[in-house]
Amino acid sequence: MAQVVFSTWGNNVIDNRSVTGEPAAASFRLPVAFDGQQPLRAFMGWDGLIVFDNEVDIPAMAAEYMQRVQTLFCCGKCTPGKKGTKVLADLLQKVISGQAKEADLDQVADLNALLQNCKCTLCPSSTQPVLDAVQYYRADFLAYLNGGRTAKQEKYLHKITAPCMDKCPAHIDIPKYIEEIKNYQYSDALATIRENMPLPAVCGRVCPHPCETACRRKNVDDAINIMVLKRSASDYEWLHKLTPPMVPAPRKNKKIAIVGAGPAGLAAAYYLALQGYPCTIYEALPEGFGGGMVAVGIPAYRMPRHILQRDIDIIQSMGVEIKYNMRVGTDISLPELKAQYDAVFLAPGAHRSKPMGVEGEDKGYKGFLPGGIDFLREAYMGRPTGMGKKVCVVGGGNTAIDCVRVALREGAEESILLYRRSRNEMPADVWEVDGADEEGVKFEFQVLPTKILVDGNNQVTGVECVRMALGEPDASGRRRPEPMPGSEFVVECDTVIPAIGQDADLGFIPPEMGIDISKWNTVITKYLPLKDAAGKELKDGMGNPLSRYLITDCEGVFAGGDAEIGPLTVVACIGNAHRAANVIGRYLEEGTAYLTEQEIFEDLLTYLGVYDKNEAVAWLDSAGRAGQKEVHGKERASKGNYGEVELGFSDSTAQAEADRCLRCYRMAMVAL
Amino acid sequence: MAHTECCDTNRTITLTIDGSDVQVPSGTTILDAARKLGIKIPTLCWLEKISTTGACRVCAVHVEGVARPMTACNTPVKEGIKVITQSTELEQIRKKTMELMLVNHPLDCPVCDAAGECDLQDTCYGLSVAKQEYAADLERLPIRYDWSLLESDPNRCILCEKCVKVCREITGVGAIETQSCGDRAVVETVSGQPLDCDFCGNCIAACPTGTLISKPFKFAGRPWSFEVKNSICGFCSSGCQIEYHVQNGKVARVTSDDSTYNNGNLCINGRFGYSAFNAPERLTTPLLKGVDGQQRAATWDTALSVAVSATKELVATYGAKAVAGIGSPRATNEENFLFAKLIKQAIGSANLDSEARLGYAQAQEIQASMLGMTGATQPMDALEQAGSIIVLGSDLKAESAGFGYRVIKAATKHDAKLVIASARPTSLDGFANSALRYKAGSEGFVALGLAKAALNQGKTDAGATDGLDGFKQSLAAASFDQIQAATGLSEADYNDAVSFINGPVAVVYGYEFIRSADAQAAVTGAVNLALLTGADLYPIDEKNNTQGMLDMGVIPGADGKDLFQIIDAIEAGEIRALFVMGSDLLQIMPNRSRIEAALKKLECLVVLDLFPTATAHLAHVVLPAAAAPEKSGSFTTADNRTQSFTAAATPPGEARPDYVILGDLYARLTGGAIPSLAALQQEIAVPVKQHLERPAFAAVTPQAPATGSMTLLIAPFLRHNGSYTSWSVNNLQVAAEATLRLGTTDAAKLGVANGDKVTLGANGTSVSLPVQLQPSIPAGLAVAPTHFRTSGLTTLLIKPAASLTVTISKG
Repeated sequence: MAQVVFSTWGNNVIDNRSVTGEPAAASFRLPVAFDGQQPLRAFMGWDGLIVFDNEVDIPAMAAEYMQRVQTLFCCGKCTPGKKGTKVLADLLQKVISGQAKEADLDQVADLNALLQNCKCTLCPSSTQPVLDAVQYYRADFLAYLNGGRTAKQEKYLHKITAPCMDKCPAHIDIPKYIEEIKNYQYSDALATIRENMPLPAVCGRVCPHPCETACRRKNVDDAINIMVLKRSASDYEWLHKLTPPMVPAPRKNKKIAIVGAGPAGLAAAYYLALQGYPCTIYEALPEGFGGGMVAVGIPAYRMPRHILQRDIDIIQSMGVEIKYNMRVGTDISLPELKAQYDAVFLAPGAHRSKPMGVEGEDKGYKGFLPGGIDFLREAYMGRPTGMGKKVCVVGGGNTAIDCVRVALREGAEESILLYRRSRNEMPADVWEVDGADEEGVKFEFQVLPTKILVDGNNQVTGVECVRMALGEPDASGRRRPEPMPGSEFVVECDTVIPAIGQDADLGFIPPEMGIDISKWNTVITKYLPLKDAAGKELKDGMGNPLSRYLITDCEGVFAGGDAEIGPLTVVACIGNAHRAANVIGRYLEEGTAYLTEQEIFEDLLTYLGVYDKNEAVAWLDSAGRAGQKEVHGKERASKGNYGEVELGFSDSTAQAEADRCLRCYRMAMVAL
Repeated sequence: MAHTECCDTNRTITLTIDGSDVQVPSGTTILDAARKLGIKIPTLCWLEKISTTGACRVCAVHVEGVARPMTACNTPVKEGIKVITQSTELEQIRKKTMELMLVNHPLDCPVCDAAGECDLQDTCYGLSVAKQEYAADLERLPIRYDWSLLESDPNRCILCEKCVKVCREITGVGAIETQSCGDRAVVETVSGQPLDCDFCGNCIAACPTGTLISKPFKFAGRPWSFEVKNSICGFCSSGCQIEYHVQNGKVARVTSDDSTYNNGNLCINGRFGYSAFNAPERLTTPLLKGVDGQQRAATWDTALSVAVSATKELVATYGAKAVAGIGSPRATNEENFLFAKLIKQAIGSANLDSEARLGYAQAQEIQASMLGMTGATQPMDALEQAGSIIVLGSDLKAESAGFGYRVIKAATKHDAKLVIASARPTSLDGFANSALRYKAGSEGFVALGLAKAALNQGKTDAGATDGLDGFKQSLAAASFDQIQAATGLSEADYNDAVSFINGPVAVVYGYEFIRSADAQAAVTGAVNLALLTGADLYPIDEKNNTQGMLDMGVIPGADGKDLFQIIDAIEAGEIRALFVMGSDLLQIMPNRSRIEAALKKLECLVVLDLFPTATAHLAHVVLPAAAAPEKSGSFTTADNRTQSFTAAATPPGEARPDYVILGDLYARLTGGAIPSLAALQQEIAVPVKQHLERPAFAAVTPQAPATGSMTLLIAPFLRHNGSYTSWSVNNLQVAAEATLRLGTTDAAKLGVANGDKVTLGANGTSVSLPVQLQPSIPAGLAVAPTHFRTSGLTTLLIKPAASLTVTISKG
């Protein structure tokens, strides 16, 4: 078990360098070995330093850290940052080369103080570990003076990050694109976004924007409206008819089949096409309905079809072929694909509604619809949905909210949502719930459907429900709902739509291919054996192994998206598929599927956590968050009205909103 | 967090700065609030006209309750905050920040061009930065000597980014950006290649140090050794307010203050075009043509006597109608007024006109009949309030940069939607929501298509109704199929363009419309479109005083002949004497050989000009005139702003201001006194322009445009203005000769690359030009500039039109 030798991380000094007896206990969310093999010996970053190996040459590491900050990441766009880190970096180099005097070390604190007046966060945060090093390893620094020591040659790795870009599953360089918008460089901003986000119009509209939950500006007032700024950059290109600038690398001869034209399939195709690989996407739905869950799962009033189609058209213009009406497993088999292509990427999504577990749901009643996602798909494709006039939707996620709002647009006279917990505990995004409220959706909270009621013709006439009381918190931290005896009541309706979740339909994968499927119906892919000091395996937020390289146990077959992660978000699928595209490229070029040190570092930082909600951020809260304009009133949900509800920013609002960004870059470095 | 709609910006905020209360609108920065109180906070990177940067950090102030200094320049105020701008700690921060800024700053102030007007020097001095605590390894970055007109010494750069932002936000170019990291961060061209931009030099003006300097001005003298005089730029119709820096009577540089109407923004012509006035070719003495046909220097008295006696003699023999005059869009209002008086009163001839007859004059006649108003219906700053701007047939930055900058600002900072319809790619296309590329010559149909689509989509204004029914009928009569056949643009294109009409509309029309082969339909169409959409209307002309010249009555009198009729009458022997002021008819008029023959037929041709133009070469009497900086008077912009100025420089040799020359001629012809400038200004009746109470639509049926596989468009280009700048070595450095711009398809078809010669043929003549590839030019179109005297392009024309069908071949 790796012992923490010394740490200043999180303003908490732990010094076990010369303790006798029981060392102070400390644990950090870091693996003992960087990639499962190379021991992680020391970590240096915005919050201080963590030393696991007493042999690490801290002065040399601090000097190298500052040198890398100054020459690789300091933007040079403010005086203290540009010049202060230069003076500091040169000073530390002077120490290491034995040319410094003891008094020079005193300037570190002075520079640290001066650097607190920087424009952004990178340079000030970078002085923290250096200051800590000089303070707590002063003897080691002094040993260098007069040429008393030579620096050890060590292997260092660095990674630039920011709380928002770390939290974004696609790891978009958010501070960079926001700064570009602030500087009226919309096309540059979009190019930055596209480095990690090939569906910018989509994620500018319907992303749950986890990035905003990790925005440091939140510690001052409110988060930057990162999502709508992304939309601004994306819509600028569209509204100015600019040609997307991507130029794929020269065409390569190895080709890739992709199952599913959803966010993951499209993202993988985009990045593989950029590398020069010919990609063919097999999509079960007909032409005009590409986009997977973004299309058939997100209603057009949130994601207008023509704008989604534009993102798809751009990907096709990069040489990606999409074969519509081709359901893998029916129209072509997976083994056939594997035989015809050099690699196959499975991204079928999670389109199968989960059963509700209520009496009568399996009886084939008229008016009991198969599931929320099926209802949304049929409505989206303009096909009969089987919906009546009074609709009950069961569930509390975004899909359930989409269903009640679509039901109104499909002509329902009444649209009711049944959810077993309270409004505050709904997994659906707050603004979606508010949107439904504004449109006249009725809510029944803390109710559990127990029975589907029908008439003599097996036509649904209502749902019998029981009221729920909230008990003790469960594993998710939310209070567990429990039925209140005697509270049974009936909600009259002619349509019931269960929308309580979906999973992947992996029936197209023949067992003999050797592809492992988890008990949650996801494809299992290979991963790095990362363990913490206690020997516990490192997992991501969905309970999957932290660092996966997305190849299945079947050679040449990769998997990603909802079918690999478990049903999650567009942005998570895109981040995951982007990584898959990189791994596939390496697999095809070098014959092995592996993760780069930068990719591993990315996962480690996510695990460690870059955002600190308790950090006191000193800033004047004089510029409030801007919200986008939207269409108000019930008419926006009138029958057949799928017009976009949210209208984005004007450019001037976008520029002002971007100006609120604190540009919270920071650099991490490890010694291996 | 809930998504709420945008914040209220109209609130008043009260805050305290250094103990004094101040009230400002929300969104105001602490710096601006302090300025309102007269409290000065030092800044280096702040420039009012661009977005805030926060780079230098010297404007740090304390806000009570905030545990770090905030930069005043980019921190908005908040209700009730208490700001401290002066404290020992702040002084330390500012001083130390300046010390850091000076780490490795070159000590070449003695030879630095900025010395004496260096913000870095001034700020250091102001903050008493007298020591240096910090040191770093010295690394020198290479100086960019290989740029044209500008030089960049990155070692002097403090990375305030003012240049970068002015280039991107004001001029819409974005040629330079910050590159590299840390101490090596440097302002460099985006491409890494030598600078290739508009060469407006606004970055030089923005630079607080000697990093970006003007090459032509380098080592010309210390800033304080020049006499600085306010004036009005004499190049385009934007009428920028400028400062001439004069030494030994010559203009050594041109600057403009940010407090001017034009916010200190200039174009290449304004900033660098002055070298035309210092050109060695300037006429310095009167010339008289001898019997051998050679022009020889003469005294003013002799030259004027010859001109006057020849004129008197011809008038005596053939009557006053044997004399005609051509006024000048370059000359002042006073000079044009006097010129009109000379021709119409002193000589008694109604044969007076100008080069505006090539299009702008008729356009204003159309405007006058439909709107009652000539020139723009609003001053150009109203463009910034427009919700949508429709630019018809103009590359605004090339024709009148001030208008171009306003439109860029409206589109980028005030959320105006921008529609540009032009036969050629324009420098503003990147800002356009819709850039319609029509077939040159079909301008009348383009206006029709836009109006029809606007009507169909209800993007109309209820204002004007006179003639509306007839206009609607004319719209109904033209089908989108017909319009598409003429213009190449579909109904969907027009619908898309008008879908961006939103809020107050501005219609701007320029060269391609005014000089259209069917200009009557094009201009009428533009005015109709403006009436239909309730728009302000802005005509654009390339030259500084075209509007003023027309206002001064340089138009034919009753039964007088216009420009073309004057040529006809010369040929017919009816006109025998011609006075030409500042107008090179041979270069600008179609059918050059015919014009040349006509002018040669004259018995008395008197030319007043700065330069030995082709027209001047034919003159019997050449009278050397003073340029804009060398005289006093006033110019009127295309948006009807009349601005006065006084002489800053000295004319070369014996050259005299036109008003002096004309005054002398007037006195000699009438026997009266020489009219003084002041007297002229008294006499001029300032035209009162008012919109008609009931403006009227005019139905118009455009003529089918000429068809041919290749169309040549001759139009104004960036980096030049009229023919003046073809005498400016500065402009010539970055645009040396006329080239033929071709798209990739046609270049491939012809098998030509950059620099290859091609021959253009039309109307029995041909000219040869080198090719310059411009991929954005559509197939079937070639574009060439109007500016170059030697290009011979006008020989291809037989009628006044910007475009014509040509043949084109390699070699």
